[in-house]
Amino acid sequence: MATSFPFMLDGETHLVTIRARRPRLVVEVDGRCYTVDEDPAADGTTRLAIDGRAYDVRRTREGDRVHVKLDTTNYSVGYQDPVTAAQHDAGGDDVLRADMPGVVVSMTATPGASIASGDVLLVIESMKMQINVVAHRDGTVETVHVEVNQSFDKGAELVSLHPSN
Amino acid sequence: MLDSLLVANRGEIACRVLRTARAMGLRTIAVYHHADRGAPHVSLADQAIELDSEVPTSAYLDIPQLVAAAQSAGAAAVHPGYGFLAENAGFAAAVEDAGLVFVGPQPDVIRLMGDKVHARAFAAEAGVPLAPSALMEGTLEEFLASAREIGLPLLIKAAAGGGGKGMSIVHDAAELAARARTAMSEAERYFADGRIYAERYVERPRHIEVQVLGDGRGNVVHLFERECSVQRRFQKIVEEAPAATLPAELRARICSAAVTLATRANYRNAGTVEFILAPDGEFYFLEMNTRLQVEHPVTEMICGVDLVEAQLRIAAGEGLPWTQDAITTTGHAIECRVCCEDPARDFLPATGTARVLRLPHGAGVRFDGGLGEGQAVTASFDSMIGKLVCRGEDRRQAIDRAVTALGELTLLGVDHNIDYLARVVDHPAFRAGELHTGFVAEHADALGTPRLDADQRAAVVIAAALGVDDFRRLAWDIPEPYASIGAWRN
Repeated sequence: MATSFPFMLDGETHLVTIRARRPRLVVEVDGRCYTVDEDPAADGTTRLAIDGRAYDVRRTREGDRVHVKLDTTNYSVGYQDPVTAAQHDAGGDDVLRADMPGVVVSMTATPGASIASGDVLLVIESMKMQINVVAHRDGTVETVHVEVNQSFDKGAELVSLHPSN
Repeated sequence: MLDSLLVANRGEIACRVLRTARAMGLRTIAVYHHADRGAPHVSLADQAIELDSEVPTSAYLDIPQLVAAAQSAGAAAVHPGYGFLAENAGFAAAVEDAGLVFVGPQPDVIRLMGDKVHARAFAAEAGVPLAPSALMEGTLEEFLASAREIGLPLLIKAAAGGGGKGMSIVHDAAELAARARTAMSEAERYFADGRIYAERYVERPRHIEVQVLGDGRGNVVHLFERECSVQRRFQKIVEEAPAATLPAELRARICSAAVTLATRANYRNAGTVEFILAPDGEFYFLEMNTRLQVEHPVTEMICGVDLVEAQLRIAAGEGLPWTQDAITTTGHAIECRVCCEDPARDFLPATGTARVLRLPHGAGVRFDGGLGEGQAVTASFDSMIGKLVCRGEDRRQAIDRAVTALGELTLLGVDHNIDYLARVVDHPAFRAGELHTGFVAEHADALGTPRLDADQRAAVVIAAALGVDDFRRLAWDIPEPYASIGAWRN
């Protein structure tokens, strides 16, 4: 449940953090907040507006690089997937933990339920934001460690999945 | 006319040749290595024959296999493209010995022009200007005396040399003897051949070359000149036709020298005579390339011709398609070589997969490519994946169109030099036509990747973040709307 995403550009790491989702997406980069709107165009280009300034964007992700074309200029941005990194670090990907303290708003996951990667398991509120906690892989829910309205600390176990084969 | 053609090449030039052959109604045969099985040139041809080779490049250099492929397919002729075997006299001879037509010059002409010493001597006999030079044949003192006669500055080179070893530029007469001794010892050390020679060093030289077409029966026409002064490490990056600036009288003399040389060689096929042009207007023979040149499209665009069709007609024995008087030029054309290499890392060849490839459109815009979307760019082959060629009514319009088209050209998934090319052609000195072969070194700072301010950086990382699934889910709870996407984790 990472909320800060590290991106490498020009040899430096830039942290991207979602600060608000509604009414509009607000994203913080290097300590500054930007309002972000996105509109898909017909040809596979995305029209992105950042603080009202429009960009035509195309991008692909290749391993740890995101190739981005912003208007007419190309950039190669480094990105290390934190979930993948966590799997390697912790030696397993069965337990979803909280990255920051918060409170459970709603719970969808039930023990024994089959889930697909991307399914919303629960919604939490943290730092005045509601955040969907989604499954990072297909599997079956083993244990739900928290209930609605329960607060939790950073690092707390939220949901465990049956160990993957 | 020929009824069928095998193209012994790959990539953009194979596609380029196949298109013309198809348009002329020829049955077309491609060859390919397994690594190229999904490549556009394979599907463009009526028939494609796989070449067996462990190393991909070796497949396109395998003369017996290529000749056998041509014979088994019943091809009437073989077009070598450029690179690989295009200037290999043995290949031309093998094709002819098999009773097939080689779309190129006679083998002995390829051999003559391929030997730089013989080609220079041949050019001298033909009265084509050569840079004044002195070869060390006797004592060091004799060499120094003849070198002094040439005048400074001088370029001292190892006769057997290459790669800058034993090479030195002498500006000061007092240094000549010492530099010559150093060059001799370096030449001895690196090439086991202490012979050196000196030639007049042309400062801020321009590269001007002339497109010629000969029928092999002594008839030769030229299709004017191209300028290829924008180079990196002796590799052309941007070419144009006509030259950026060239007085009409000088242009006529350079073109005439090229025709003289090609006529004397009884040249058959399309060919290019390359010259160095000094700032004082003197020009010197460099070499002759006995094949279709990478940058031939700029000539096609200003002359309104198809050089591959001309090659095929000449090879079929139809003679020259045009008289000299019928060849005229209108407008200006610029070619940018699109290469998968990373300008931020000293132009190291880049590999990857072309996940997105969108070609530019518009008046005067042509893209000669050979890479398909989804195809891998590997280290096995040349890093050039295509050429963007833009024509305008004048040079300014051609440049404007090139800048716009380069911005429109989209290649994602592998690093490339497209942005760099746009900075080159949009540079004030390029626009002003202030070209010489040291152009990119002289303007290296301005041509480097521009620094971003904080807001620009933020825009880039936000755009990147929205390309990451986990981030999108958190942001909008929706997946990427359009899947212009490569290897997603989920």
